[in-house]
Amino acid sequence: MKKILMALVAGLPAVAPAEAQSHRADPATGTETWETRAHGVALRLTQILPDQARAFYLSRGFAAEDAELYATDCVFMTVLRNDAAPGALGFRLADWQVRVRGERRALRPVEDWLALWRERGVPQPARIAFRWAQFPPEQEYERGEWNQGMLAVGLPPGERFDLAARWQVAGKAYEGVLTDVRCASR
Amino acid sequence: MFAALRVELMRFARAAALAWLAATPAAAEDLPPLTHALTPIATPQPAPALKLRDLDGKVHDLARLKGKLVVVNFWATWCPPCRREMPSLERLRQRLENKGLAVLAVDVGEDVETVFSFTGQLDPAPAFPLLLDQDSAVMQGWKVRGLPTTFVVDAEGRVVYRAIGGRAFDHEAVVNQLQPHLPVR
Repeated sequence: MKKILMALVAGLPAVAPAEAQSHRADPATGTETWETRAHGVALRLTQILPDQARAFYLSRGFAAEDAELYATDCVFMTVLRNDAAPGALGFRLADWQVRVRGERRALRPVEDWLALWRERGVPQPARIAFRWAQFPPEQEYERGEWNQGMLAVGLPPGERFDLAARWQVAGKAYEGVLTDVRCASR
Repeated sequence: MFAALRVELMRFARAAALAWLAATPAAAEDLPPLTHALTPIATPQPAPALKLRDLDGKVHDLARLKGKLVVVNFWATWCPPCRREMPSLERLRQRLENKGLAVLAVDVGEDVETVFSFTGQLDPAPAFPLLLDQDSAVMQGWKVRGLPTTFVVDAEGRVVYRAIGGRAFDHEAVVNQLQPHLPVR
């Protein structure tokens, strides 16, 4: 099993001790998961295969060509959880970064996706399902609170990247970097 | 005849596979654990309005439940943690209803048929009202940012607990948190 490292930085730029991360593949589906549990916070990315994303949105009223746009944008089931942080955890996806081939990119805001769906005539019930199936654009978790949602990182199938997730706990900034994550290739 | 049967079986298999994929983007064995606690609200505030129709078209108004401890759960059939926590919500209702607990589950953005066919698969099936917030306006009024999110409203109509993410609502720790707020002890 391949190990990946995540550095948690408390009160940037001070670097907290690096924590070993886990990587596993589901034997039935082949989907891969990258996860860290450090400083009382758990962050997990699990590949969503393009076929899974297509099926999800087709069954919720998307036209095939619209579902295709999202399904091939490198989608992950994302979980962020405050298990035992020393206070409320707050984050905004606008602060997160995708790092690929030396370039840093922001995640596409959910509002941009919704504007695209309106422009393309996606029905309102399908847009509502899309909105609430996404990982929240911002949130605050007390201990024990968490969300699970879809996150598209805007890369082609098979691409490798690092995800820099940023959050705050009790006024301190943390950055968790999941490295060498791979977009599903089929 | 057998060819026709085979076609039907293949059609069924495709539909079953599509349903599985549509409902379960992440592998079943890889799901995050349900939490065993609610988050207390430091300064309880009056609950926002909630007046919606259930699957039979009957209107339910939270304001008419004053005097009860009400669990308000925002969910959708396609939300994996929502699906996992719902049986525990029904078990909680069965355990505490006679002490003044009520449950309202608010489905977001879906129609009667979708919700009805999903809840038929649950064990135990929910016996509490399943309300439809088809344009998500009520959920936004409650400032929900992600599903599932649950609130507990006390007998005076104030929000006393919140839970973001899936819960095991019938866990003893959750029941212990609710006990002091029940109208009947």
